[in-house]
Order: sequence, then structure tokens, then C-alpha cells
Amino acid sequence: MTWSIAAPAVTAAFLASLVEVVEAFTIVLAVATLRGWRPAALGTAGGLAVLAGFVLLLGPLLNRIPLHSLQLAIGILLLLFGMGWLRKASLRAAGIIPLHDEDAIFAAEAAQLGQHRGRQQSNLDWVAGITALKAVLLEGLEVVFIVIAVGAWRGLLMPASLGALAACALVLAAGAIIHRPLSRVPENTLKFGVGVMLSAFGVFWTGEGLGVAWPGQDLALLLFAALFLAAGLVGATLARRICVEIAQ
Amino acid sequence: MTVLKEVVAELIGMFAGEKRLTIAALTVVTISGCLVDFTGLDPLVGGTVLLFGCLILLIESVCRSARAGAS
Repeated sequence: MTWSIAAPAVTAAFLASLVEVVEAFTIVLAVATLRGWRPAALGTAGGLAVLAGFVLLLGPLLNRIPLHSLQLAIGILLLLFGMGWLRKASLRAAGIIPLHDEDAIFAAEAAQLGQHRGRQQSNLDWVAGITALKAVLLEGLEVVFIVIAVGAWRGLLMPASLGALAACALVLAAGAIIHRPLSRVPENTLKFGVGVMLSAFGVFWTGEGLGVAWPGQDLALLLFAALFLAAGLVGATLARRICVEIAQ
Repeated sequence: MTVLKEVVAELIGMFAGEKRLTIAALTVVTISGCLVDFTGLDPLVGGTVLLFGCLILLIESVCRSARAGAS
């Protein structure tokens, strides 16, 4: 394990988890505020259990796949996933699509849960629990994929998992202290950074899977990240210019 | 059942949220693979096509979405 590859892997897992856990936390908090902590905690625990099941199921399977095939498959998935994040982050930075607003999401979720007021108490708790479970499960899927993808080999699964767990602990600690949606987290900047790193990993591993020996080996990752960062920024600048031109 | 549907939709959206970008990126990967496997060129040529192909695709996809979103 070298630092040139471990540091980006752990950072990517930490930052991606930070973004996703903030999003899940907003919905779980809405559930807890409206229906109490019991359905929120049960739903969260259920979501985490399903995610843990995915990891336990996929982890041993990955060891059976030949290294080059695994590199290629995960490299391509990382490339598609990372470029998707980077594209959206560039469009948000350019103002084409709105930024993620945790306060608005909290209000929308609370309003949706409020629509079920006519139902029985037990039904309400069930709806609230499922809402929390879905939030944790859907946001957690991306975290699980990133942790497995960046940590699948070279002994990085544990450091990447620790990075993700550190992000969970940080969000929960911050949430417990301020007891509100974490709307001041610079989500788009984080998503931009994660998109850059995942795209760089994607190109690196897809290339290795195809049989390309990158010059400088792991250090090539840093060059790829710099190029994707530049491409994302150029894309955002051009997108902003296109909007201004069309508006005139 | 709804949760399962949403999980499947989330998984598809994770990798193929923007269909044109996904198809174009897979095409670039295929071209790079062909360059590495079926030509006598240095594999690094295939790697360079992969890297710069993806960078160009990303910028093009952002610009295309900007044009579609602004018009």
C-alpha cells in the first residue's frame, strides 16, 4: 500500500460519505422530529443492516474474480459514476441545476410525512420508519459502492471503510450538537472533489485492466485528478458562458 | 416492493443517469481496448485515448446540458 494511492482512496471514501450521510441525516432528522426517534432509529438500523448485507455478500465474491477483470469492471463503473458526479457538480457550479438545499429537503420531507396524519399511530410509525430506511439505504448504496470500488484491492478496503465511518461519526456528532439539517456543508464543492477523484481512479483502473502500464505508476493518479479538475472547471465556465449567450 | 424498485432505479441512475454520456464513455473504453489489443501500437496510446476521450466527453456533456437547460 502506497500513500499516493491510499490517500486519494481514503479521502474519496470520506468525502463521498460525508455528502451522502448529510443527505440521509436530513431525512432521518425530519422523521425523528415529526414521529420521534424510535421509528427513525429503527429505520436507520434497518437500512444499515441491508447495506452491511450487500458488503458481506459482495466482499467475498470480489476475491474470486481475476484481478484484471476486476480492475476493468470496477474501473469502468467508477469512470461512469465519477463522471456523472463531476458533470452534475459542474452544472450546479454554473447555476444550470439548483444546489442541494438541505433545509428545503427537510421541509418537503416533513410535509410529506404530515400528509399521513389521518392514519393510525402504528401506521404512522411504519411509514416514518420506512422513510428513514429508504433514505439510509439509497444514500448508503453510493457509499458502499465507493468504499468497495476504491478499496477492492491493494489492502485498501479497511482504510476506505474507516474513512467512510469517520464521515458518519462526524455528521452524527455535528447533527447531535446543532439538531438541524446540516445546510452549511459545502456539498457541491465536496461532490466536485469526489467526482474528480473517482473519475481519476476510473481512468487509472480501466487503463490497468486493459493492460496499460501508466508512467509513474500510482503517481499518474494525481495527474489524472488534476486534469479532471481542470476539465470540470472548464466545463462549468463554458456552461455559464453558454447560459449568458442564450439569455442575451 | 416500492423500496426494491427505488433501489434498482438508484443503482441504474448511479452508472447510467445520463445515457448519452454513459454510451459515449463506454465507446471510448471500447476504442481504447481495441487500440491496446488489436493494433501493434504501444498500450499507452490506448491509455491516452481513454484519458483525453473522457476529459473531452465530460466537457461536451456539461456544455450540451447547459445549452438544453438554458434554451
